Amino acid sequence: MGVMVVSALDLDGLNLQGPLCSPVAVPAGFPSPAQDYFTGRIDLNKHLIRDITCTFLVRVSGHSMDGAGIADGDELVVDRSLTPADGNVVVAIIDGELTVKRLRLEHGRVRLAAENPEYPDVVICELSELSIWGVVTRCLHHV
Amino acid sequence: MPEMGAGKVERFALVDVNSFYVSCERAFDPSLELKPVVVLSNNDGCVVARSNEAKALGIENGDPWFKLAADAKRTGLIQRSSNYELYGDLSSRVMELLGRYSFSQEVYSIDESWLVLRGTPEELVRTGAEIKAAVALHTGLPVCVGIAPTKTLAKFVNRVAKQNPALRGVCSWDTLPSAHAEAIMSRVPVTGIWGIAGRLGKKLNALGIFTIADLKAADPVVMRKKFSVLMQRTIMELNGIPCIPLETEVATKRQLIFSRSFSTPVTTAARMHEVMAIYAQQAAIRLAKDSQQARLITCFAGTSHFNDRAASFPSVAVKLPAPTADPVLLTKAATRAWRAGLWMASRTPAPVSC
Ligand SMILES: [Mg+2]
Repeated sequence: MGVMVVSALDLDGLNLQGPLCSPVAVPAGFPSPAQDYFTGRIDLNKHLIRDITCTFLVRVSGHSMDGAGIADGDELVVDRSLTPADGNVVVAIIDGELTVKRLRLEHGRVRLAAENPEYPDVVICELSELSIWGVVTRCLHHV
Repeated sequence: MPEMGAGKVERFALVDVNSFYVSCERAFDPSLELKPVVVLSNNDGCVVARSNEAKALGIENGDPWFKLAADAKRTGLIQRSSNYELYGDLSSRVMELLGRYSFSQEVYSIDESWLVLRGTPEELVRTGAEIKAAVALHTGLPVCVGIAPTKTLAKFVNRVAKQNPALRGVCSWDTLPSAHAEAIMSRVPVTGIWGIAGRLGKKLNALGIFTIADLKAADPVVMRKKFSVLMQRTIMELNGIPCIPLETEVATKRQLIFSRSFSTPVTTAARMHEVMAIYAQQAAIRLAKDSQQARLITCFAGTSHFNDRAASFPSVAVKLPAPTADPVLLTKAATRAWRAGLWMASRTPAPVSC
């Protein structure tokens, strides 16, 4: 799955102060006063971005990550400063291209796994040859 | 700068992104790594930035692409159009990150910042390495860090760091062996020092001053009489006496000043337009952060403060129809004001603000 950087998130620019409700768990059974569901406005910058200096928004193309809930045209929030761990969805550099895959650290080798049986995994023998551009923290999925 | 006891010192650090525009392109396109790359101006397709590999091919800033294109296949030279929005964005990330390392920061240009650091010389070298690693991790950009008791020396050791890969991007005046420093200073032409431009260099050559070491050894009082107080300051700074202080931004409730210098003068209307747009947007960001709005924009430019001949500091003010912090409106107002009022007034502006 290829990526392009759609917006290098503006320092204060990304004006996403939209949704009225912050996500709260909805209790089953009892009726609750509306206040329980309303905890004020949510600033999507704060909600999505841990550190503005290393967070980038990229748009993906392709279908190799369909199984991870990442569809063609979705935007990903990527943190470049995180240390990639086994199981993370990452933006990896393969042959000079930015590619989205799931990172699998297995005994002695690294696998960049597609989540679509029609796409092959990329196996890297030497850990030192692995180049990770950033770790995906959110998917902005178009519904 | 003051000595602080227990071996601690206060020092200037200059952090400068290597080949900034090219590095920005590489941050999003890793296939450009290790290849000769040039960034072209949008209007006339001339080279405005080069990777080291492109420099090694003998390509100069200002070279028109149509002249390079024929040979590009053979040399593997790759071109990119300039994307000032991207460069502005990465710049603000770098500056924000650098600000976390110091209580006092002066953003000097789009890719350079001064910081004041305190610690033992060894601690400061470690801090420099940390800064370099953090910028690389967060943004993908390579920087060099020069650390010294004066701004002029920090610029000098930053250049030493750039040219000596063995230093891994960090050079401190305090830990650089003095024999090594002297050897470099007696080799590098005097125009390699901050604030000594080509024309000034020729005048110095006529006095037998050819290298940085020659200038360092000159009598500051005599040189002040022959040149200016700026020359005296440069000589004193080369000798470790701080004369050029950090200029932090002045932002009061009533006005916000956004001011930057350029390493090379802005000499075309198109480039100035781009620069004005970046600065107006940065100023808008600052306004929004402080929940403020602007009623009046003043754009001013000036020739380098090292250029004591032909000094020019034009400015023009525009009243906005209504108070605003809208980056689009501010950009329009700033660029229009610039075109209307300033371009004819000054042909060789350097710093711009709005
Ligand atoms: Mg630079």
